[in-house]
Amino acid sequence: MNQNKSYFVQSLTIFAVSIAAFLVFKSFLPKKIFSESTANSKNVVIDSLLLEAIEEDKDASEGDTLSNQPISFTAVDGIAFPDEDFNDYKGFQHLVQFFEKLYQLETKHEGNVRIAYFGDSMTDGDMIVQDFRTNFQNQFGGQGVGFVNITSESAGSRNSIKHEFSPNWKTQSYLNVKKPRSPFGVNGHVFFANDTAHVEWVKYKASTLKNLTELYNPTLFYGKSSNKNGKIGLKVGNDTIYKKLSPNKLVNTLVIGNTTKNLKVDFVKADSIPIYGFNFDDGKGVHVDNFSNRGNSGLPISTFNTEVMRQFQEKLGYDLIVLHYGTNVLNYGSLNYTWYEKRMKKVVNHLKECFPGVAILIVSTADKATKYDLEMKTDSAVVPLTLAQKKYAIQSQAGYVNLYTLMGGDGSMVKWVDEAPASANKDYTHFNFRGAKKISGMIYNQIYSGYEQFKKLRANRKVAKPIIKKDSLTVAKDSVHVE
Amino acid sequence: MQDWFTQNIASLFTTITPETVQSWFVYNPKEPILFNTGLFLGLFLVFYSIYIALKNTFYPRLVYVIIFSLFFYYKSSGIFFLLLLGSSVVDYNLGNLVHRTQSVLNKKLCLAFSVVLNLGFLGYFKYTNFIIDTYNSVSDGHFEFQKIILPVGISFYTFQSISYIIEIYRKEIEPTKSYVDYLFFVSFFPQLVAGPIVRAKDFLPQIYQKLNVTKDDINRAFLLIIGGLIKKTIISDYISINFVDRVFDAPSAYTAFENLMASYGYAIQIYCDFSGYSDMAIGVALLLGFKLPTNFRTPYQSASITEFWRRWHISLSTWLKDFLYISVGGNRNGTFAGFLFPALFFFGLIVWGITYAPTSNVPLFIAIGATVVFALTFLLSKEKERTMFTNVNLMTTMLLGGLWHGASLRFIIWGALHGMGLAVHKIIMEFFPSKKDDKKSFFGYVWLVISVLITFHFVTFCWIFFRAKDFAIALELINNIGKVTFDWEQWMVIAQGYKNVFLLMAIGFVWHYLPEKMVTAMQSVFKAMPIIVKAILLGLVYWLVYATASAGPQPFIYFQF
Repeated sequence: MNQNKSYFVQSLTIFAVSIAAFLVFKSFLPKKIFSESTANSKNVVIDSLLLEAIEEDKDASEGDTLSNQPISFTAVDGIAFPDEDFNDYKGFQHLVQFFEKLYQLETKHEGNVRIAYFGDSMTDGDMIVQDFRTNFQNQFGGQGVGFVNITSESAGSRNSIKHEFSPNWKTQSYLNVKKPRSPFGVNGHVFFANDTAHVEWVKYKASTLKNLTELYNPTLFYGKSSNKNGKIGLKVGNDTIYKKLSPNKLVNTLVIGNTTKNLKVDFVKADSIPIYGFNFDDGKGVHVDNFSNRGNSGLPISTFNTEVMRQFQEKLGYDLIVLHYGTNVLNYGSLNYTWYEKRMKKVVNHLKECFPGVAILIVSTADKATKYDLEMKTDSAVVPLTLAQKKYAIQSQAGYVNLYTLMGGDGSMVKWVDEAPASANKDYTHFNFRGAKKISGMIYNQIYSGYEQFKKLRANRKVAKPIIKKDSLTVAKDSVHVE
Repeated sequence: MQDWFTQNIASLFTTITPETVQSWFVYNPKEPILFNTGLFLGLFLVFYSIYIALKNTFYPRLVYVIIFSLFFYYKSSGIFFLLLLGSSVVDYNLGNLVHRTQSVLNKKLCLAFSVVLNLGFLGYFKYTNFIIDTYNSVSDGHFEFQKIILPVGISFYTFQSISYIIEIYRKEIEPTKSYVDYLFFVSFFPQLVAGPIVRAKDFLPQIYQKLNVTKDDINRAFLLIIGGLIKKTIISDYISINFVDRVFDAPSAYTAFENLMASYGYAIQIYCDFSGYSDMAIGVALLLGFKLPTNFRTPYQSASITEFWRRWHISLSTWLKDFLYISVGGNRNGTFAGFLFPALFFFGLIVWGITYAPTSNVPLFIAIGATVVFALTFLLSKEKERTMFTNVNLMTTMLLGGLWHGASLRFIIWGALHGMGLAVHKIIMEFFPSKKDDKKSFFGYVWLVISVLITFHFVTFCWIFFRAKDFAIALELINNIGKVTFDWEQWMVIAQGYKNVFLLMAIGFVWHYLPEKMVTAMQSVFKAMPIIVKAILLGLVYWLVYATASAGPQPFIYFQF
């Protein structure tokens, strides 16, 4: 009896002492046992320019002169959007020429509109962008998936096109190569078929998604080289047809054949010829190219070669460039993003030089949650980064989408992960297909609301006729099929 | 020392506000109470002290535990504790009715009514939307989904209530002497929300025994709690958040090797999660002087799928065997109910194969293949009819057992795979009976290792369907695993990137496959420790739990090769 009681008391004692022991351990031992740093290895995708920038500009001072003044715009083609304040800045004014092209397309069914969507792992596998593309193509017409790389780390997860490639391609990416053997293409990559022992190949198959059911007018993009013997082979029925590559200009195109569902292209004796990728579009309506790259901060765009980009622009005719970055800039401890602001301002200006007359839209980082004590909360770096992104958007005259506020602001990522069905993944950073669709809808709706505002302003403007500047590239030929 | 005290201990109390105190006692759907939370630890310490004081009483002690149990259930599932109370009143009276009724027919009717009622409750909460969804997709209907919240643990306590009534019907037990005793059995908080499923005949006698714990009980209890905490909170939670969940969210965003490791990761995760929580429940019950049945016996050490089901979630598999498998005919009889579900399943499978035939032959091939293999498992047998009954009834048990885990086709497929596995294993055993002698040759050991590996991989394969959100994801993952090539260097780079996750997975597996002798030796070291050392060790485990839980999610790693 007594014995029995003592065992109950003994176990109670163990509990009580263990709690006391825990409190002591908690105050002496470290707070976390698993560090959150990742091993830097050559096999991990990291933006090397970003790492350098952080190292150089650690101590940049923060200056803030923007946030208290109203932002007013000068009219373009007689259209001036009302003044905005820093808090709600959207910068529709800077998209006027893009809106005008959309308007021509919508009302007169003339011309076509092309959008380059640059991003990081958020848009990997055509997430967000595929829904963004669908929104535009449903509203304004247009078919085709746009520009596609030769190799891609996320080819397997892409739904909008089935994409396979041989393993022997030599890939150089602006993410970790500063001086490529040949300049990068508009996708920030250059690919070489340097393995002479084995043929390099690439295979595409159209998806079953709306507007993307065919590989429309497949066209190869490649660069300049002294190798004049390269050719490509493609199967038509039982025969293999060979087409010669003539790498004479900085950017060359080769129309591969007619619209098809499947395409397999072999590259023969094509070593040292810079290969950029394939374009698939039907030549009318809106086309959106997804240039996503895991680990990208946006800074590598500064390595674009102006001459090469102008030739791309001549052939593809971009009207809008979207820069959707930020996720990879959140993890570096500091809340001072002056360095990023300065460098991204340069990036935007460089893009304007490469693609004269193109409108630029900055999409801010989405919400991201981190664990503070035992609770997941919005990372303290999110708001400072969205502000830095807004500042360089204003300074470089670009449109701006604040994804963080659109998502619901503070704590929204935690909600998106926890809600049923979930919209974001358990890393509290990336969206799943459901979330990506919501995000793309938010971005599209903001652009579309700007477009509707534009139409009202256009109807009420005083200038009778729109002045399209002759030297502007908005009137340059847009189709790649006019060769 | 003074400073340290004010900073760490006194601050514990000064930071307590009325809101914090309120949060301890009010239900918060975001933070259900779990054994591995600080709140439970604190509450349990207070509860346990009073429990010991009441230990020589009977009704006061029972009522006291019931109140705490209901509070515990309220903290996990809110207002639904009323449902638990309500259904216990009904079941207690139905139990008495079954007991009192004399005529066999009336007895049967009463039993059927009780079982249907209980399953009806479970079905309403758990399967309404699943049935609506299935109906909509089969007939193009547009019934709206209902907003039904699943009360926590309803699958577990419904099965306990059913076991009580069936055991009364089978005259294995007498009804409890009073309603309070019955409520104590159903609401007993250690096993209330996640099992083990305690059988009335094992538990009820313990209520009436004199409350007693031995030194050995206490040691076992603390070992179970320590092991459970490590398995559940350190291994399982960490690898799921930082690795497994991510890969299962978007398999194709990862390399083939990561896909493979994620499926191994899930195998150890679900074992650690489930068995860890069960172990904690058994340990806590043991501290209160109640012995709950063992629920897991290192299941991945099984050399066959039949053995696996004797070692995995034992309280569920024995429940299903006694009340479902036997009821539909066991290994002797064929019944309508026994044939209904397998027939529906294989019929559905073939219809599915035919609908996909225009686009791909693979589904039809799989459907016909599965049906033929299942038919062969009894057609090849010497006792065709009896084996057919056995296998069909086993299949019924596994299909419904699968569905018990969750309202989705995935769980049915998971159950079906296991049902097939059991049937195939049976026919193999008929052709190649294992030798009875205990002495194992070298070849015998090699064969054992191979059998364990095959069984483990089969189970892991089935888990993919259990875990993946939908079929597309499951097939994507399986497809990606098919692309794994042996590339040591790449594997090492990935292992470095996920070093914490892979380390914990390794610990989980090594622990699982430790020889029993070694485990016993380690346990006896613990048992020999002075009380104070045991307490400090337990405190250290709390710290481990705390420090793991404080670690934020690992940042994303994308590999390029």
